[in-house]
Amino acid sequence: MRRKTTQHALLYAGVVLTCAILVFPIYWLVVTALSEPSQLRQLPPSFWPAEPRWGVFGQIMAERPILLWLGNSALAAIGAVTISMIVSVLAGYSLSRFRVRGGQSLGLFILTAKMLPATLLVIPLFGIFRNLELIGSLWSIILAHATLIIPFTTWMLKGYFDTIPRELEQAAMVDGCSPLGALVRVILPVSAPGLAATALYGFVLSWSDYAYARTFLTNAQGNWTANLGITTMKGEYISNWSDISAASILVALPILAIYLFLERYLVGGLTAGAEK
Amino acid sequence: MAGIRIDSVTKSYGGLAVLKAFSLDIADGEFVVLVGPSGCGKSTMLKILAGLEEASSGKISIGDRDVTDLAPGDRDIAMVFQNYALYPHLTVARNMGFGLKMRGTDAGEIDRRVNEAAKILGIDHLLERRPRALSGGQRQRVALGRAIVREPQAFLMDEPLSNLDAKLRVHTRAEISALHKRLRVTTIYVTHDQTEAMTMADRIVIMKDGVIQQIAAPDVMFREPANLFVAGFIGSPGMNFLKAKAEAKGGGATAKLFGHDVTLPVANGGALAGKDIVVGLRPEHIAAGPGQVSFTVAPRLIESLGSEQYVYVDLPEEHRREASAGGDDETRRTSLIARLINPEPRPPEETLTLSFDPARLHVFDAASGEAIR
Ligand SMILES: Nc1ncnc2c1ncn2[C@@H]1O[C@H](COP(=O)(O)OP(=O)(O)OP(=O)(O)O)[C@@H](O)[C@H]1O
Ligand SMILES: [Mg+2]
Repeated sequence: MRRKTTQHALLYAGVVLTCAILVFPIYWLVVTALSEPSQLRQLPPSFWPAEPRWGVFGQIMAERPILLWLGNSALAAIGAVTISMIVSVLAGYSLSRFRVRGGQSLGLFILTAKMLPATLLVIPLFGIFRNLELIGSLWSIILAHATLIIPFTTWMLKGYFDTIPRELEQAAMVDGCSPLGALVRVILPVSAPGLAATALYGFVLSWSDYAYARTFLTNAQGNWTANLGITTMKGEYISNWSDISAASILVALPILAIYLFLERYLVGGLTAGAEK
Repeated sequence: MAGIRIDSVTKSYGGLAVLKAFSLDIADGEFVVLVGPSGCGKSTMLKILAGLEEASSGKISIGDRDVTDLAPGDRDIAMVFQNYALYPHLTVARNMGFGLKMRGTDAGEIDRRVNEAAKILGIDHLLERRPRALSGGQRQRVALGRAIVREPQAFLMDEPLSNLDAKLRVHTRAEISALHKRLRVTTIYVTHDQTEAMTMADRIVIMKDGVIQQIAAPDVMFREPANLFVAGFIGSPGMNFLKAKAEAKGGGATAKLFGHDVTLPVANGGALAGKDIVVGLRPEHIAAGPGQVSFTVAPRLIESLGSEQYVYVDLPEEHRREASAGGDDETRRTSLIARLINPEPRPPEETLTLSFDPARLHVFDAASGEAIR
């Protein structure tokens, strides 16, 4: 009995510590945003500003086209995720189900592609997009992000499809579906949690990109994404860290909202009841 | 409804031959059970019939249609899977109606047929539930229901009862038989349980390593097994096998069993002289007390089930067969089992006289394993 209590205590202590480590930077971001810039460097630091500047959000939205940036980020992420999901659902399903000659090495090849750092591809992609006259267009980062996302999501989805019993699509085919019909009518609905998790992952990857946007979009102000826009708030001599923090919070909010919205799909368990 | 003809179907995975020249004619409305040990190719045969796997060679017809190259959905068959494979995202009613919907049946007709099938199976109160909210037995019924609403040419069932507990299994077994009597749809049923095979089948197909060993009605299979494998597979407990040597005597053949010269029930005994044989004797054909051939033993173990007793006796050394590489159960090889019906209670340490009727013996060629009659 006593041992159990001690174990629980240790467990909770661990959880609390981990949460603290994870949450602290976010907390500090909020504190920074709400403080007067002049108070930021005081020692000892204050853990909550005496007079929080709640008006900062409205103020920076009036000063900068933050909504436009957010809209561009959203368009880019939605476009990249849509393309990625279509490609990786088909690729992941094939890798999971069909024994193709060389299928294994093909899978490994995709896996290697995801080990390459994104920055390595910036220059070749720039060359390609220049030829396609896509520099400055949102399509450039949509396609660039898709090349980043697809290797990951293909493997995530392959793993998810592997957990779905083959008999499910066999039943669908006996019931009159084509292989593609079985995928669309049975496998995809059953995979909703896996699809949600994968799409979310791709969305975050696209949303948090800076390198590609900086390279392809710098000269097209109207197409700036949020991350690119925020860095322009950093001046050469003085930077208003409070304003930058406030903008960062605004950029993080949509991701938070999507997490909350998708949570029930992410929990999984939809395949329960297929068998036995 | 239609008959099914399977014509020399073979299947290999790479170098591994899983089915070897499998041929079988199934009559319209017949209930055929494929039975055999794990890995013998039963499921593979069923999947080839369904069109889910491609045969390496051979031909399959349903009715008078050659379906060898048709997609599963175009074969007009329904399948019940071992794990049921219900669509988890659809309600029971939509699960059952899915196949009809795929075929463009109109909604009213689907409703009517789903309700009718649900009534037959006693699941009409579950129609709006999802599979995860059902018990194992209920899921099994939904899987059956999904097959019967389609009114297909044939049912294919792959061990549909193996996930049920023992009691429910016996119950559902009887129900499937009754359902078959009522609907008369050609059914191919796969199991590795010989009791299911014996109780449900019009005809049993016994397989081993992708080769058909015997095709026969359950009674015939039990009385006239074609070889040692079939003899050992059908019946519970399995047949006792005794190694012996045939000798010519008069016009017939005898063998020395438990010290007696026993006349073997074979037609052409003279031809057997000097041959190594295996004599088979079913546990239920051994009786307590003296009889035509009697012998006295000290039982090693007596298992009592109330209405019957299994008496385990050490087999004399000269009757034991060599341990096979395939690994027959060692206790089975070294013991004789007698199944005594309505036995007297008896203390295990007492010696016991057992007897059998030589006409009940089975004789097999020791080298080939084939039955000799
Ligand atoms: N996709 C496959 N690739 C390679 N070998 C396979 C494949 N599917 C089945 N086999 C092999 O074919 C043989 C027959 O398999 P099958 O599933 O038909 O056996 P079964 O008689 O249904 O056995 P069980 O009673 O265990 O279900 C087995 O040896 C199995 O390993
Ligand atoms: Mg099987």
